[in-house]
Amino acid sequence: MKEILDFRPDFAEYLRDESRKTGTAQSISFPETEEEVRAILRAVCGRKLPVTIQGSRTGLAGAAVPPGGHILNLSRMNRVLGMEQAGDRFLLRVQPGLILSQLRKGLEERSFSTQGWSPEERQVYTRFCRAPEQFFPTDPTETSASLGGMAACNASGARSFRYGAARNHIRGLRMVLADGDVLALSRGQFTAQGRKLRLTTLGGRRLEVLLPTYRMPETKNASGYYAADDMDAVDFLVGSDGTLGAITELTLELLPLPPVIWGVSCFFAREEQAVAFVRKAREQVAFLAALEYFDRGALDILRREKEQSTAFAGLPRLPEPEKAGACVYAEFHCEAEDEALEALYHLGRVLEEAGGSEEETWVARTPLDREQLQFFRHAVPESVNRWIDERRRTEPSLTKLAADMSVPDDCLEQVVALYREGLARYGLESAIWGHIGNNHLHVNILPRNREDYQKGKELYRQWAGQITRMGGAVSAEHGVGKLKAEYLEVMYGPAHIREMIRAKEAFDPDFLLGRGNLFPPPEVKGEQPEVKGEPLEMPGGKPEAKANAQESEANAPAACSRGDTADR
Amino acid sequence: MRILVCVKQVPSGTQVRLDPETRTMIRDARQSVLNPFDAYAVEEAVRIKERLGGQVTVLSMGIPSTERLLRDTMARGADEGILLSDRAFAGADTLATSYTLAEGIRRLGDFSLILCGRMAVDGDTAQIGPELAEQLGIPHVTEVCRIVSLDEREAVVAREAEGVRRTLAVPLPALFTVSREINQPRLPSLAGIRRAAQGSVQVWGASELQTDPERTGLAGSPTKVVETYVPEREQECRWITGTAAEQAAEVLRVWKERKP
Repeated sequence: MKEILDFRPDFAEYLRDESRKTGTAQSISFPETEEEVRAILRAVCGRKLPVTIQGSRTGLAGAAVPPGGHILNLSRMNRVLGMEQAGDRFLLRVQPGLILSQLRKGLEERSFSTQGWSPEERQVYTRFCRAPEQFFPTDPTETSASLGGMAACNASGARSFRYGAARNHIRGLRMVLADGDVLALSRGQFTAQGRKLRLTTLGGRRLEVLLPTYRMPETKNASGYYAADDMDAVDFLVGSDGTLGAITELTLELLPLPPVIWGVSCFFAREEQAVAFVRKAREQVAFLAALEYFDRGALDILRREKEQSTAFAGLPRLPEPEKAGACVYAEFHCEAEDEALEALYHLGRVLEEAGGSEEETWVARTPLDREQLQFFRHAVPESVNRWIDERRRTEPSLTKLAADMSVPDDCLEQVVALYREGLARYGLESAIWGHIGNNHLHVNILPRNREDYQKGKELYRQWAGQITRMGGAVSAEHGVGKLKAEYLEVMYGPAHIREMIRAKEAFDPDFLLGRGNLFPPPEVKGEQPEVKGEPLEMPGGKPEAKANAQESEANAPAACSRGDTADR
Repeated sequence: MRILVCVKQVPSGTQVRLDPETRTMIRDARQSVLNPFDAYAVEEAVRIKERLGGQVTVLSMGIPSTERLLRDTMARGADEGILLSDRAFAGADTLATSYTLAEGIRRLGDFSLILCGRMAVDGDTAQIGPELAEQLGIPHVTEVCRIVSLDEREAVVAREAEGVRRTLAVPLPALFTVSREINQPRLPSLAGIRRAAQGSVQVWGASELQTDPERTGLAGSPTKVVETYVPEREQECRWITGTAAEQAAEVLRVWKERKP
């Protein structure tokens, strides 16, 4: 069996993820095959030790931060296992530790190691090499994310506006359960009857899962288990945040890369103009694959970074602040240039109607220009992180507070007003960016001191309740992990949380996997996590959260006009 | 000030992909692009125009689809495009190309300034700029990284090459090839794309230019391509084990025996 290593100080980095929270662990393992994962889980879970599953630890919700016990790190399971064809689609079988940038490089260069592939798979590979370029549409900003992690939190990204989240592009998966048994699922193999799902493991064990009965918000959503009538079992396991088992293989469905990909950054003097533009553009303009937003706070930080940091000196020069107080990035995916041009002109008309100017736009039609716009988009979160790191020098306990909430289409203006009102009321500095096409904005609070930080946390708790009343999701793409578990309770209420726990117990009766993710264990067994630096918040019953949860117990998405959102 | 910029269409991307069965190169339909170095020349010309007034003309020799690239430079601020396109120009080396471009420029009339990229990323010769200046009988400076000052009669430019930075005063008309340090090219605006769609691109062939058939295309090219191939690089990874001293000795031995 692959070694289970005692935890040593030089493993310290595995106690953290990108949430910048730190946990504790007693042991760690780095398996390379499914067989090894099975042996490790049998051994560790046999001793009733909690297990935290890790990919490349780029998650923002703390799902990979261990609350004691064992760390099952899958980053060395990073091979491409084979390729199949289903109709005109290519399906790629990968291990969970493969990182997105490696996958993209392999697809772009059409270069995968075919060692160990069957003759049939090699034939498919030859066809793949001769076919038009393929791509995997899920595009989180962090390209060092692992595919297993992306599946575990149902990741998405800018292009989810057109292609949906990771779930839509996963055809099947293999998952090792706590007892070492394996679930091997492909779409269509197991479907629920109503809310009852029956599964059979490779070991012949029958699982009967009562799915939670909530109605999920009709928005982009990565909050808690996916549950719907007559759903496919694959959809339940994707987005389960490492609480049901360890994903050991994913079958990814690839799509042909659109021949024409154009990007346009549109600058507006004021936020209302940008929001009005988004509403019209997404209703009227064809071929849009992404609609992204950057507010004045984000643009100001970029301007400063361009001047002060050599790393960002190569950014395109932004228009003056009075012309560029907000920016919307639109991306077209088309079959031919003439249709892209027509759509681009249409976008231009919509833009001028909304109060923008066609002069204040950047259009990227060539690979080089697209790289520039991509650099610009990625520079926003990076420069905000640099800025926070600067502040941490004087106040080390500060971290960025980032919201990841989404609401239905008709609530776009209302949710922007909600954020602005809250930020103004508490006098907080912020930078807002994200997936405005899906009404999914990342509100980043930039605390100047401890007091700001507490105010920001309080504000997020309030927003969780208000977003829920709009029919939204408290986590749209980062997953719930440990940091947002209390918001999940606000969103669904305690009764539905209990249903989730019941569903988990069908897979993991001793509550060992991903402990602390999504919800607290019924009774916390073993040690409490040690607190280092910023405390790792085990989700629990905060009085505030409970109060909101009562209100949202009957959680039918409310029409926006009815929401009493800005009055707390 | 009348400014001319010479540009070239080059294949997009630098990767060479091989078919796993036939081991032949896979060509895909990815579009050709503007030579990246030429973008700096276009940007510098547009900045000069914005500062001093004047007109920017962009010139290229190439296949008819190169017109698309000329319109792209117009979206970035150039005023007009001229395409020299004729079967008679095909297969040209740098000598025949610079002759043909020079004939195009003579037909266009006088320019104060001619700008080129420092080289094209497909051929990597960096010869067209200097050869073109010789054909036209005007001075040239390569690798210009800054235009220090400029008026109708004279330009003062800085060039940086081989680790030496020099500042030179050059009488106009003159030709400069520019390096990527000179500026940061802008992205076209939507308004620019609309203007470019309506702007003029003239296409001239051998008959319009009245070029000497012995000096254009393959016939006018003394350079002969004997063979082309993708260079193969071998990589070998070897684990060195043993004590620190043994490992160090082994590294030294491998280093001494390495192929030149």
